[in-house]
Amino acid sequence: MYYYVVNSAAGRGQITHLEEKIRSRLDELGIRGEWAHTTGPGEATKMAAEAVAKGHTTIVAVGGDDTVNEVMNGIRDEKVAIGIIPTGSNNRLARQFGIESWQQACKVLAARRLSSFSLIAAGQQYFLSTLTLGFETDLDKRIDIAATGWRARIAQLRRGWGTARSFESLHAVIKADDDFSLECDLFSLSIANQKFINPLADNKLLVSISDRPGGRQLGSYLWQLIKHGTSPLEEEATTRFLAVRVVIETKPVSGIMVDGKVASRTPIAIRLTDRRVKFITEKLAMGLRT
Amino acid sequence: MARRTDALGVTGADTIIGPGVVVTGNLYSEGDIFIDGEVTGDIKTVGDVTLGVNAVIKANIAALNVVVGGTLTGNILAQGEASITESGQVHGDVGSAGLSIANGGQFEGRSRVISAPQLGLPEDHED
Repeated sequence: MYYYVVNSAAGRGQITHLEEKIRSRLDELGIRGEWAHTTGPGEATKMAAEAVAKGHTTIVAVGGDDTVNEVMNGIRDEKVAIGIIPTGSNNRLARQFGIESWQQACKVLAARRLSSFSLIAAGQQYFLSTLTLGFETDLDKRIDIAATGWRARIAQLRRGWGTARSFESLHAVIKADDDFSLECDLFSLSIANQKFINPLADNKLLVSISDRPGGRQLGSYLWQLIKHGTSPLEEEATTRFLAVRVVIETKPVSGIMVDGKVASRTPIAIRLTDRRVKFITEKLAMGLRT
Repeated sequence: MARRTDALGVTGADTIIGPGVVVTGNLYSEGDIFIDGEVTGDIKTVGDVTLGVNAVIKANIAALNVVVGGTLTGNILAQGEASITESGQVHGDVGSAGLSIANGGQFEGRSRVISAPQLGLPEDHED
């Protein structure tokens, strides 16, 4: 039985216009379920936990990344599958699962391909996909990636450019597992579960460190970020390695962004946990249809 | 991990240590390693190790194939080939199935040609 947790405020309230269409499509696909609407931050976590307690085995987050994270944090039962219908302003997680629109999301839910991911713990907080620090965290405070219209986007691009020019690299010391420590000046650092990049790979932390990019790379990065909300800076990494646990210290202290939201600051320990969550995805990994 | 070309133009390496990065400790990998920074410690992999022109390494290396384009102080144990490029310097012993030194490359140490069964793989590293 499907349980839909709807963030009514996600995507500037666009769900109010879409809900009937989504319900109608889900009816056609035979996956009509129970619907619940959040009224404030943190409520999706409680709703998801209650739905699991009632016996629901599929919880669908209807909203953006924040909603998905809240739902995920309410589910402790590894047998429960999480689905996503992206209606938020920031739908990066859905895109990472190959889901670009609510229409596609409905089909994906019906197809029910499952992939299991280990959660990553950053301090006391669990997250699924990507942690960043450095320039990207700084940039998030200064530009609005949800800006629409070319004038607004150009303005954001200019602001992002200025931020990059004035950003001073961080000096970082990173201890990886019990094997080595690494010292460097970094422009940006990201940590992701490598399984997000390659669904066939093992769950492992992929640590990517970027130097200050050249003008062309920076322009391309900023434009992609503003246009698509994606963050390809990690593809420009000049250093990368795999680990299970890392401890990061920086000078000066840096804010840390988890799945697109500022969550903590350095120093911080980040580790891959045994806690797994099962997602319904477009990209078929090692999951089975159940 | 997906094989791809990175900012340094490296294709497919699982572990990359870029220029300006200083690593202290042991690097273990189940894939290829490319280093263009500084490493002090041991390096072990079942894949290949490539040291770029900026690499300054004080380590023993055990790998499948090893290419040295920077400066290595330490021994090499290569199941396959060991190569020193025109910018490479090796101060240490090399055990490998074959050693090649390009014109301009420097080698100060002893070389042993060892058949693959004698070498064995580096010990498995438990993650």
